Amino acid sequence: MSNNNKPVSPAEYKKITEELYKQNLELARLYKQVDSLNTELQESIKQRESLVHLVTHKVKGSFTRSKYIFAGILDGTFGETSPEIKKRAEQGLESDNMGIETVDLVLSVANMQKGVVKYDMKEIDLREIVLKTIAEKRGPAEFKGLKIETDIKEDTYNVLGDAFWLKEAINNLIENSTKYTREGKIIIGLEKKPARNASHSDARPHDSQQRVGQAGGDGKVVFSVKDTGIGIGEEDKKNLFTEGGRGKDSVKVNVDSTGYGLYSVKLIVDAHKGKVFEESEGVEKGSTFFIELPLV
Amino acid sequence: MESILQMPIRIIKEQELVIGPLAWDEAKKVAGLTIDQPHNSVSFSNSFSGDKKDAINRLVAQYERLFGRASQEVCRESVQDLIAEMSPEEIPSSLR
Repeated sequence: MSNNNKPVSPAEYKKITEELYKQNLELARLYKQVDSLNTELQESIKQRESLVHLVTHKVKGSFTRSKYIFAGILDGTFGETSPEIKKRAEQGLESDNMGIETVDLVLSVANMQKGVVKYDMKEIDLREIVLKTIAEKRGPAEFKGLKIETDIKEDTYNVLGDAFWLKEAINNLIENSTKYTREGKIIIGLEKKPARNASHSDARPHDSQQRVGQAGGDGKVVFSVKDTGIGIGEEDKKNLFTEGGRGKDSVKVNVDSTGYGLYSVKLIVDAHKGKVFEESEGVEKGSTFFIELPLV
Repeated sequence: MESILQMPIRIIKEQELVIGPLAWDEAKKVAGLTIDQPHNSVSFSNSFSGDKKDAINRLVAQYERLFGRASQEVCRESVQDLIAEMSPEEIPSSLR
């Protein structure tokens, strides 16, 4: 009989039991520490959330008050004003609107993180939302000298989603392309990817075959925004969809970059069980952003 | 509530963190204690003629017999705030 099969003596048994108890005790103490740290962390998160809400509401209140002062100057509430003052009031109004938009974005992200955003999920045709958003965004893009092209076939692109929040996500990607493209064009595409084993030889609007092909599974609707803009470097790609994740060069082009835009898109798309991703061959080589949602 | 009345449940709950439900099984074997595990409650048995301190000493010994000195330390730690409010003669000897 080998040593391993020798019966354990009561003394050895007690020794083993005591040793196991000590190990368990160590684990229990570690558990208590982790539990205590977790409680502290939850408390810090709560304090941070409440601070974000307090600050953003105060800031939004200030923007809103000055917005109405500027609006009052423009609509003559305060009497006749010179063209110079009107010009300044228009600039002030625009600046306040941007400030309010930023505060709303930060608040939305905070609410999405907390899970208090309730999505009204319905079967909707994504094409309608995309076309509506393009109609709204074409003006500002063309004003900047950019051409907007579309590659959207007549079809229904039904997804289960909240029309308001999906429009926010689509709006954000188109706005981003407009901001980060100095010249050239933006191509907005929408396509159906029927099934896992479907042929990939169908014409696609952009270079998305590889990434979209990886998604697999059931049918998908893929929305894309391709631009001839500043592109994305390898380093920036890592932080693109994170909270406060701004590209190294993004603030040079867009001084108002908050780092919350793409993060909010990711939170919205995640809530719709979809994927958001990008492709860029590098700096100054343009980029393409995709939102992929399950097809109903 | 009298400090000594709170001791058994404190000790068992602390041991439960280390050894799990076994802590309750072992406590059930101790004379002088009535264990109501589903309701997380422990009381001293009325029918038992012995002292409350003795019952606690037996509970501590029950764990120590199986798990050694470390388990006695766990018992002591679990009631240290109660002990701080008690006079020396009230404290069970195993927890001093």
